[in-house]
Amino acid sequence: MKRFTLSLLLIIVILGILAGCVSEDGGSSNEDSGSDGNSDNEGEASSETSSDEELSIAVVPKLVGIPYFNASETGAEKAGEELGVNVQYTGPTEADASQQVQKIENLISQGVDTIAVAPNDPASVDPVLKKAKDQGIHVMDWDTPANEVDLSVKQVDDEEFGRHMAKKLVEAMGTEEGNIAILTGGLAAANLNAWIDAAKAELDENYPDVEIVTEKIPTDEKQQVAYQKTLDLIKSYPDLDGVLAVSTPAPLGAAQAVQEEGLQEEVSVVGSALPTDSQPYLEDGSLDTAVLWNPEDLGYLTVALGKMLAEGKMPEDGQEIEGIGQISVKDDGKTVIMGPPQDYTKENAGDFDF
Amino acid sequence: MKSLLRQKEFSIFAIIVVISIILSIVSPAFLTIGNLLDVVEGNVVMGILAIGMTLIIITSDIDVSVAAITTAVAVSVGALFSYLPDSWISLAIIFLIAPVIGLLIGSVNGLLVSKIQIPAIVVTLGTLNIINGLVLYFTNGRYLNSTNFPKSFLSFSNVEIFGIPILIFILVFVAILTWYILKHTFIGRSVMAIGGNQQSSIRVGINYQKVKLFVFAYMGFLCGIAAIAQTAYTKAVDPNGLLGLELTVIAAVVLGGTNIHGGRGTIHGTLLGVLLLALIQNGMILARIDTFWQNVVTGAIIVFAVSYDHISYKRQQEKLAKIEVA
Amino acid sequence: MKLSKENILGLIALGTFLLMSLIAPGFLGSNNLTNFLFQLPEFGLLALAMMVVILTGGIDLSITYVAALSGVGAALMLTSGFSIIPAILVAILFGVACGAFNGFVISKIGVPAILVTLGTMVLFEGVILAITKGNSISGFGDTYSLIGNGYYMGIIPLPILIFIFFIVLTAILLNKTSWGRSVYMFGNNDVATHFSGIKNSRVLMKVYLYVGLLAAISAIIMTSRYNSVKVDLGSAYLLQSVAAAVLGGANIHGGYGKVMGTVYAVIIFQTISNGLNLLGAHSAIADVFIGGVLILVLTFNFFSDKFKRKKETQASTA
Repeated sequence: MKRFTLSLLLIIVILGILAGCVSEDGGSSNEDSGSDGNSDNEGEASSETSSDEELSIAVVPKLVGIPYFNASETGAEKAGEELGVNVQYTGPTEADASQQVQKIENLISQGVDTIAVAPNDPASVDPVLKKAKDQGIHVMDWDTPANEVDLSVKQVDDEEFGRHMAKKLVEAMGTEEGNIAILTGGLAAANLNAWIDAAKAELDENYPDVEIVTEKIPTDEKQQVAYQKTLDLIKSYPDLDGVLAVSTPAPLGAAQAVQEEGLQEEVSVVGSALPTDSQPYLEDGSLDTAVLWNPEDLGYLTVALGKMLAEGKMPEDGQEIEGIGQISVKDDGKTVIMGPPQDYTKENAGDFDF
Repeated sequence: MKSLLRQKEFSIFAIIVVISIILSIVSPAFLTIGNLLDVVEGNVVMGILAIGMTLIIITSDIDVSVAAITTAVAVSVGALFSYLPDSWISLAIIFLIAPVIGLLIGSVNGLLVSKIQIPAIVVTLGTLNIINGLVLYFTNGRYLNSTNFPKSFLSFSNVEIFGIPILIFILVFVAILTWYILKHTFIGRSVMAIGGNQQSSIRVGINYQKVKLFVFAYMGFLCGIAAIAQTAYTKAVDPNGLLGLELTVIAAVVLGGTNIHGGRGTIHGTLLGVLLLALIQNGMILARIDTFWQNVVTGAIIVFAVSYDHISYKRQQEKLAKIEVA
Repeated sequence: MKLSKENILGLIALGTFLLMSLIAPGFLGSNNLTNFLFQLPEFGLLALAMMVVILTGGIDLSITYVAALSGVGAALMLTSGFSIIPAILVAILFGVACGAFNGFVISKIGVPAILVTLGTMVLFEGVILAITKGNSISGFGDTYSLIGNGYYMGIIPLPILIFIFFIVLTAILLNKTSWGRSVYMFGNNDVATHFSGIKNSRVLMKVYLYVGLLAAISAIIMTSRYNSVKVDLGSAYLLQSVAAAVLGGANIHGGYGKVMGTVYAVIIFQTISNGLNLLGAHSAIADVFIGGVLILVLTFNFFSDKFKRKKETQASTA
């Protein structure tokens, strides 16, 4: 045992020394190799563009294979056709930060012109986006903000969105006092947390008599988990008046629970969901309002702005984007807001195909 | 030997009783028929899969592709829904086709394990990757909601007999069927024999390959039934809905007293294991445990349960050994 | 004819690599090759750790959460102003502590590894959630980021050097020390090992301590590369690392497995996913290929074994 611990300690010490001296060496030479790679890549990129004459824009979602990001893929590809750019829509199969970084690294290798990323974890893409910039690639974020970007495309204003959902819930409850619970997709999702915080602030400031019965409850981005948790909530808090469900599968599960218990009148559900998915629940009032934005438009706008960025232009406040409408740009000059949140209700849910 | 088996399930039963007592003290909502039925109905899918997994673990193998197979069947059934007329025939077709699809996929696992003799965990790890990849590629994660479902299927999923949801009857049916196979058929007793002692069971003339093929094919068959249950329960087909369930299923089986090295395991033990995990999940909100500590509590209970179970098992064995010597 | 399992696997790795350089555009670009070397180590270290556990006939399902928890340890130190050496030490401490916990329950109480780590997987995840409240911890400074992003002598990515160091170390520990030999013996027959005077529980304990160490090193590379840590850090690597160890020839029931086999397997996986990426294939296709390769290679092994045995019996009868 002693020898083993000793050797472990030895490894640690050696490692420390190794890391200590290398980091300095690497620090200075890193720059060299960085600029080397840079010139190489520019050569490649320019030769590519001269043969294709087409800008290539990479759009990286948090993960592929969920309805929401499929809808934005449709929009991104439509924009690619209409605007004459080559769109590459690729992401990890799990919402895992490390897998996403590897995707971006591979895109850098391919020498695309613009990379737009919806980070799973904003800080985790910092180093790789810096690398992309060093190679002369334009970087932007969409859906969820990242730090090291030239341009940021937001579907809605997080603050506005969270507050809007809270207002809709109070409206649906028809009373300004009562007990509500909050369901979330996952505890680690930054945008969901921002909405929840905004919603809580709205309730705090304007509806002090609405009480949140327990800490937000994670549902693993799965409908059946949201369903079971809502059943548990209804039993555990018999005087529950409303459920606020953020993340797209959560409102469906919550509404399913309300539907099956026949509590449409007693418990209001408001959340962020796609209209086609939520239609069966909107129809009988088990889901009162689904609030979201148009994910197809978001994909479209991302590609359109990515193209502008690659051409060296920046969007302006109030600019008209064809196929989308008027966008607003925040004071920092690089945060673009697509528009206000959209409400999907019994009346209009059938009009959409996402 | 019999008292030993009883002892094995008894420890898990004791833990369940303790948790139930705690829960009914902290929450009046816990010990109501409505809540208990919800808990059972919500875990029918896990129960069906765990029953199949019990057979596999008894033969000292493991199958990590169960959630993937169930999803594959559910997605196939979902694709079929839009072609089916709205009558009881659709229901019959689904109940015929879903288990068959599952059976076929399970047989592939079984053939690779029995004929090619690749360890089961490796085979199923491979098929897990392949199935998940293919499902994701073909569906692109598209979620199907009940608007495309035949009405007959929806009304089936809402059927209650004596106030008990139909899904619970499916679970009971699967449990009894499997118990019967295990106890009263030749193939079932071969399953126990192979897990107990592979070498000697082959010597007494049990066809090892056939038994292995059987357990994996049967697992696939149950995945097909679980897919129907899952679709009926969520009234939707979500290709991502079961991600990661395989490890929970394995946990339930071993908590229920099935020996991970094979040879020992019972259906009722497995059902107790499922119940324990289900109660922990259900209890988290009822007992108002802070969201951020829920996993710590769950993990601690699992580690405690397997350790406690193992210690009491070892004691029993020691006693047994002493008796034999004497 | 005299090729060992590992050498054949090496040839397959080479073959996939050549195939991808032919069909995937930009695969051989200097940029992509550096990427490759940056991406490999974090997964490679976890696969190596998994192989060591599998040698004893066990499996460690908690490994990615051990890594994530070590990462959280480093992150907490760095964000509260400590320099990188203490941060690394704390990360290793966290990893080894998790390993000790697993090791204790497995070796002293004697519960099968798969059960213990199934529980500790949830437990460690819970501990991380309780510490971080699910948020990510980020912003570790430029020096720390050099561990995962820096170059040694300006050309060789630092992570790959760390990985090579641990490949060599693991090989030495397994083949040249008495502990290593006991690990193989234990995997083959734990009862016989016990009766030959070896303290099984100590051997096992050290296995899990070493796994904790490797997980921590992997976590240090990951947190440095991604400048952040969250509860699901590297969770996608869990089943992949088992697959890599097994593809690398390790016997899932214990007793056999070579370091180089695992390394080749890791290279094969990385080549497939990197190459398919460059080809613009749907991400799901990479999973299908990895699963397919796993089953194909093992099927091939089965038939070549059978063939060999047939020849041997023929030779002996003749």
